[in-house]
Amino acid sequence: MAMKFPSEEYIHAVMEVLNNDQQYAQVARNWEGDIIFFVEPDGGVEGQDLPMTLYFDLWHGKCRQVRIINPDTEELPDAVYTLTASQHNYLRILRGELDPMQAMITRRLRVDGSMAYMLRNVPTVLDFVRCCGLVEIEADN
Amino acid sequence: MPDYAFGILNVDLNSGVTSRSEVALNDIRAYLGGSSLGAQILFPWLRADLDPLSPEAPLLFLTGPMTGTMGTSVGRYVICAKSPATKLWGESNVGGYFGPELRSTGYDGLLISGRASDPAYLWIHEGEVDMRPADHLWGICDTYETQVRIKEELNDQLVRVACIGLAGENVLPIALILCDQGRVAGRTGMGAVMGSKNLKAIAVRGRRPIPITHPDRFMISRRRENINLRNDNYSRAAREVGTAGAMEYFHYLGDVPTHYYTHGIFKGVEKISGITVAETILSGVSTCHGCVIACGRVVRLKDGRDRKGPEYETIAGFGPNLGIDDISVITMLGDLCDRYGMDTISISNVIGLAFYLYMEGILTEADTDGAPLIWGDMEIIERLVHQTVHREGLGGLLAKGSKALAEHFHVPEMAVQVNGLEVAYHDPRGASGMALVYATSPRGACHNQSDYFMVDTFGHTIEEIGINFYPRQAGAEKAANVARLQDWRTLCNALVLCNLANVPPESVLELINDVTGFDYNLDELVAIGERAWNLKRLINHRLGLTGENDRLPGHLLKPLPDGGSAGYVPPFEEMLAAYYQARGWDPETGRPTSERLESLDLTERISDNRTD
Repeated sequence: MAMKFPSEEYIHAVMEVLNNDQQYAQVARNWEGDIIFFVEPDGGVEGQDLPMTLYFDLWHGKCRQVRIINPDTEELPDAVYTLTASQHNYLRILRGELDPMQAMITRRLRVDGSMAYMLRNVPTVLDFVRCCGLVEIEADN
Repeated sequence: MPDYAFGILNVDLNSGVTSRSEVALNDIRAYLGGSSLGAQILFPWLRADLDPLSPEAPLLFLTGPMTGTMGTSVGRYVICAKSPATKLWGESNVGGYFGPELRSTGYDGLLISGRASDPAYLWIHEGEVDMRPADHLWGICDTYETQVRIKEELNDQLVRVACIGLAGENVLPIALILCDQGRVAGRTGMGAVMGSKNLKAIAVRGRRPIPITHPDRFMISRRRENINLRNDNYSRAAREVGTAGAMEYFHYLGDVPTHYYTHGIFKGVEKISGITVAETILSGVSTCHGCVIACGRVVRLKDGRDRKGPEYETIAGFGPNLGIDDISVITMLGDLCDRYGMDTISISNVIGLAFYLYMEGILTEADTDGAPLIWGDMEIIERLVHQTVHREGLGGLLAKGSKALAEHFHVPEMAVQVNGLEVAYHDPRGASGMALVYATSPRGACHNQSDYFMVDTFGHTIEEIGINFYPRQAGAEKAANVARLQDWRTLCNALVLCNLANVPPESVLELINDVTGFDYNLDELVAIGERAWNLKRLINHRLGLTGENDRLPGHLLKPLPDGGSAGYVPPFEEMLAAYYQARGWDPETGRPTSERLESLDLTERISDNRTD
């Protein structure tokens, strides 16, 4: 079933994929770290639930928790990484139209956190994105 | 056209006579500076019968229009000459602080000819040029000691010195020129050209302002772009883990040559990557003039002394290539080469060839004074570095470079080099664009004339100027893309803008227009790169290069047995044909067509492009 991105149902569907994907379990077996995704409105125009803050707690090949955070009412977790991009660029990554490494190096996806850990775990990053892409997104998202 | 000037100090070491000349404004507008303008300046000098180590051979130090302006990572300069390694166009650009200081003397470049009767160094300051004796340095002081001694002599710690070591004095074709704390013009043997002139060093100190046509505008644009650059993902990665930070990722993709390009897996890679350096021995970072990236590593080993840490190519060369998985040993070997003034890419490559020939039974213990050559044997590797710089034992052969070593053993196809320059450590089987980059680079197998591995492995595209993404093992379809990045990097080498600086083209355009007042548009700016690329091609044709030179070494056309690029070989012939077409070069001869030269405002060079 196609889902809207970003949405509560989407992140829970991704969590289910991550926790049932043997390849991800193997590739990400050493990964320790939670990630905050800031999804910004395209062109900086707010509305339609954007901006939105997503939280993924990833630990040794499993996804322990996902949730949408309301920064106005909740304190942001001290996540290992925060990733920031427009909804458009997230969608391009999830649909396989934009390589995640390319997004990082061409300033489409900002990464805050240890670059060393990220570079040491590129296969994990790529496999996480692969799993996210397995959840179908609405065509007119 | 604005009144933008570029002044050259001409020094004849035979007579000691110096003079100043101004570059024609049309040439500045057409080539800007760096190696692009260098090619235009040296074009009349460079002939096939010119011995690059003869007194009449020129040696050109040239800055760019933004050098010293505190623009984005532009504190660089370039050294150009006919290469003693390739006998073709030679250039090597370098950071540090020497370039900005040279411009502060009032000169934008330095054209050296002749040969000093005795070892000497040049002292350029306050509009004056002195030629001073260097007998007390020659054969005695390494590249770091030379800087210290000269600063002491001149009683000024802010003097900047570019110098050679023993490798340059002994005119090894792999000799480099070093300035500051380990910033090197490593490739194409510029140190040998300097050594052939009995020139140990050049010291500069100036206080003159760097010309900027629109200083108020530039102040705003450079500040904004430096903030953007400092916050850029790529910059922050380079600052945090250095240029070797992506080594494990490159290795995962099969891009890191192992055991002289015969394998794609090196088990100790995580022990030597830039990440490990950052986690273990890193004690600080270093920068070039005005740079917000700070990719330079300062490391502290067990002796408690801080020294330059190795960058990617040095780690790859002594690490996977030669089998060393100890980052401290690699650091010491890199330091040793810097002190001798020897290019770490070339020396590790030629030692790798010796090891490979030994494994193949072609080179025997009769050639090595009885020592076996075993991958990872750090003692024999260090001994070969010493022997090479002194031209002793097997080192006498290694000192001539990979091409000569393989020819000596009648196996020229086994040397991983192009046109006499050893291949850098990004494998075209892991990043296929590098096949064309190595084969067509004007200075031999170079990864810095075009860092296409970054497009292939990281997707470092620049869509604004038509540099798009293709799969890393795609073939001919990426040929035009490769050419386009070569043009852009040639423009960067004109500025002289560091390859690590992820500055968008529109921002580069704004900065250069603010500095020069030339009011280029983006197409004109990229055309400068394409024009210079073709001019260097014409120079190389004049020096004897033909389409037959556009080749990849045989090793790189065999599939690797393991690793992330196992089984793949780039379809080189198809890629080259597509590349010639994209370049507008004759498919048979590889020469630029007259139509292409006309379109690049190189009409005056058409008569130099004869094949008869």
